Amino acid sequence: MSGESQSVGVGIVGAGIYLPRYRIDADEIREAWGRFRASGVRSKAVAAADEDSLTMAADAATRALNATEVEAREIRCLAFGTTTPPLAEEDPTPRLGEFLGVPADATRRFLTGSTRAGTQALLTAVGTGALPALVVAADCPRGEPDSPEGHAAGAGAAAFVLTEGGATRLAEHAEYAVDYPGTRFREVGSDRVEGLGVSAYDRQAFVECVGGAVGELGEDADPDTVALHAPDGKLPYRATKVLGVDTDAIASVTPVHEFGDLGAASPLVALATALETGHERILTVGYGSGSGADALLFDGDSAAVERSEAESEQVTYAEYLRLRGELTGDPPAGGGAAVSVPSWRRTREARYRLVAGQCPECDALTYPPEGACRACHTLGEFERVALPRRGEVETVTTTSPGGAPPEFAQFGAQGGDFAVAIVAFERDGQRVSMPVQVVDTAPEAVAAGDTVEATIRRIYTQEGVTRYGTKVRLVGE
Amino acid sequence: MSLSTGGGDTASDVYLVGAGQSPYGAFPDESYRSLFRTAYESAEQSAGGVDPGDVDEAFVGTLGVGGRQLGLAGPAVTEHVGLHGVPCTRVENACAASGYALRQAVMAVKSGMADLVLAGGVEVMTDMSTEATKYWLGVSGETEWERMAGTTFSGVYAQMADSYLREHDVSREALSHVAVKNHANGAKNPDAHLRFTCTVEDAESGPVVADPLTLYHCCPTSDGAAAVFVASEAVAQSFDEKVKISGVGAASDRVGLFQRDSYTSVPASKQAGEAAYEMAGIGPANLDFAEVHDCFAIAELLAYEDLGFCERGEAGALATSGATAIDGEMPVNTSGGLKSKGHPIGATGAGQAVEAFKQLTGKAGARQLDDPQRGLTHNVGGSGGAAVVHVFEREDADPVADDENTEVVR
Repeated sequence: MSGESQSVGVGIVGAGIYLPRYRIDADEIREAWGRFRASGVRSKAVAAADEDSLTMAADAATRALNATEVEAREIRCLAFGTTTPPLAEEDPTPRLGEFLGVPADATRRFLTGSTRAGTQALLTAVGTGALPALVVAADCPRGEPDSPEGHAAGAGAAAFVLTEGGATRLAEHAEYAVDYPGTRFREVGSDRVEGLGVSAYDRQAFVECVGGAVGELGEDADPDTVALHAPDGKLPYRATKVLGVDTDAIASVTPVHEFGDLGAASPLVALATALETGHERILTVGYGSGSGADALLFDGDSAAVERSEAESEQVTYAEYLRLRGELTGDPPAGGGAAVSVPSWRRTREARYRLVAGQCPECDALTYPPEGACRACHTLGEFERVALPRRGEVETVTTTSPGGAPPEFAQFGAQGGDFAVAIVAFERDGQRVSMPVQVVDTAPEAVAAGDTVEATIRRIYTQEGVTRYGTKVRLVGE
Repeated sequence: MSLSTGGGDTASDVYLVGAGQSPYGAFPDESYRSLFRTAYESAEQSAGGVDPGDVDEAFVGTLGVGGRQLGLAGPAVTEHVGLHGVPCTRVENACAASGYALRQAVMAVKSGMADLVLAGGVEVMTDMSTEATKYWLGVSGETEWERMAGTTFSGVYAQMADSYLREHDVSREALSHVAVKNHANGAKNPDAHLRFTCTVEDAESGPVVADPLTLYHCCPTSDGAAAVFVASEAVAQSFDEKVKISGVGAASDRVGLFQRDSYTSVPASKQAGEAAYEMAGIGPANLDFAEVHDCFAIAELLAYEDLGFCERGEAGALATSGATAIDGEMPVNTSGGLKSKGHPIGATGAGQAVEAFKQLTGKAGARQLDDPQRGLTHNVGGSGGAAVVHVFEREDADPVADDENTEVVR
């Protein structure tokens, strides 16, 4: 099926890219296994122990919104695509929406089960006609540690804000699907993708679907760049002929060589990268095993893009295994100080969006926004105000896993020692403090006076339910 | 607040007439009941015998680490020791549970409703896996916020230490001096949990628990129980040993450190100390010793300042100078403190009163001070959400001279 985009004039007004801080070189994996099975992947991004597709989605979405004038509360459609949702069943978009402040009555769509989920999220959002739309794709695929899929698996996210009249116009789109069993799949109950590894067959499926979708576009696409799904660093180039482009049209924007297989986020990180570099005619092609492809042709001016700027940090293969939780056991059995899910939930506004209470009597801020005023002790009704996302470290300690509550045992086993700070946030001359973990840094690098910014991360999982909340990371002056 | 106002019975004095404790340590063969029995019998013996029928009231402090008897933990131990039918209330204020139990006992006597009251506490902390024990160590932090940031108490006190050392430009060695002193004292206490001495080098090179605190700057988790008998002035006359409880002060604060006005002071300690001094009509200069709440070495330094033993920022120098050693001008934690004697949470406050009773009745053995007249105990719950201070004095204590400076150092 193909067609002119019904809602002519829908375009991207801003985009965000998020890539985790950690990197592993292909050589590290080659050394560990004696070979490296992900062709063309030089290094890849590795999620921290407290990251998942949802936290990466939140970060990319925050950046996409930052790149525009659109406020989260104005979003009418939130679409999220990933092959690695935190849970096999449960719609993650209500939580993602609350991380960001997207209204409860916005249309929500969740796409999963195929690496096409990213481009499908984009097309689905456009199809709802509800604008402005926020489209997010995030993924952190996983394969057996010694498999081509496992060697390729990276992590990253991209997000887009679409509006009527957005600068980067969606000109056309089309799709194509045909039955190719066994190219890439994940069995029920498994978190590892696998494939039969029949190279010529996999290649044929990819080329036929990509070519089929692009061929359905109504006009000669003639792109100056192609943001193409890239499960490894070799397969996408098999499609140059059918796309009628040279390898550079793909290579100049693909994330795969540096960040690995980004799953459903792969073509969308490439699209955002193309916007960053000012391309004007961008063909975006998502591909998922099964097999099928989506082709989206964008033209017009490039929308603004904000990219995560954290300095990357190389990890060894052993650190990589720890970060991914390949070597850690289950957390210990329960005990005291349990915070129930309902009591957790009622504080989510404060945890996700740093909502504090402002005292109507004395203006002082109290966090969390409940109980009596911290300053004048008046027990009244606070005005709820969002704190800025940047604050200052007041005091900090480094906690070893041995000194942390056992709820953090797995996090400690994966990520090692971590810093816990009390951070002060200031709003209109009023300061308020909260205890938070400082992530993405060596804990000893954190000191009082440092500037930090809030980010959403996993806190811990109990009874199968993951609690998410704010942590902070250092920002350069 | 002060309890020294009012008429009738409330104006008469209240006395400790017996005090005892179990050894503190790790005792796989003991239960919370058997430990409490040991403490009860020790207290009863020190009182020269107590008829259970004469006990009007009982208050038992316990946090309930491990879960065990979370409900009715008080009657569970008082009935076990034969205080049959005696009304008993469990007091929970984290690590200050039995300090507050003692205060409740004083209030019961002051109210005129009771003449002889048992105050005690008990905790068992070593019969679980290390991981399971840690579940319980952070239960008195702000569980929904501090704990969810990944800290137990070591982390919160480490944040206080980080602030204090930086604000006053004090080196971490000052913390190690506290540990060395308390271990030296505890080594002389047959009831202490960790009866070994250590050096500053040992303490400095210990494994880091929560930066800047090393293992030597943290108290152990202990099993143990303590109990005291509190009597009205009239009833106290029938006992041989009497120590006057001349001052009581207590205060609460926000449970989470991040919610408080200061990270380098425990405001509740300061407020409790001032109230106790006022009620006792003395100042810190009139004390001959103190048992302070040193769950972490930084806590002892903050106590020096909050209780007026020295000026703000001077606690590190005070500890390093030796002034608070057993042979110093102001011995602190002659029992070994929480650091060496041990910290069975619910028993700690009552256990401090046991040390005060022993020192003031000349029964402190190898760590006996030379003729002390007055002492203070200071018991903190959590990182400062609750604090309680008691001032004890010998029945025949030298009067405080009018011209002596009773002003609390601010």
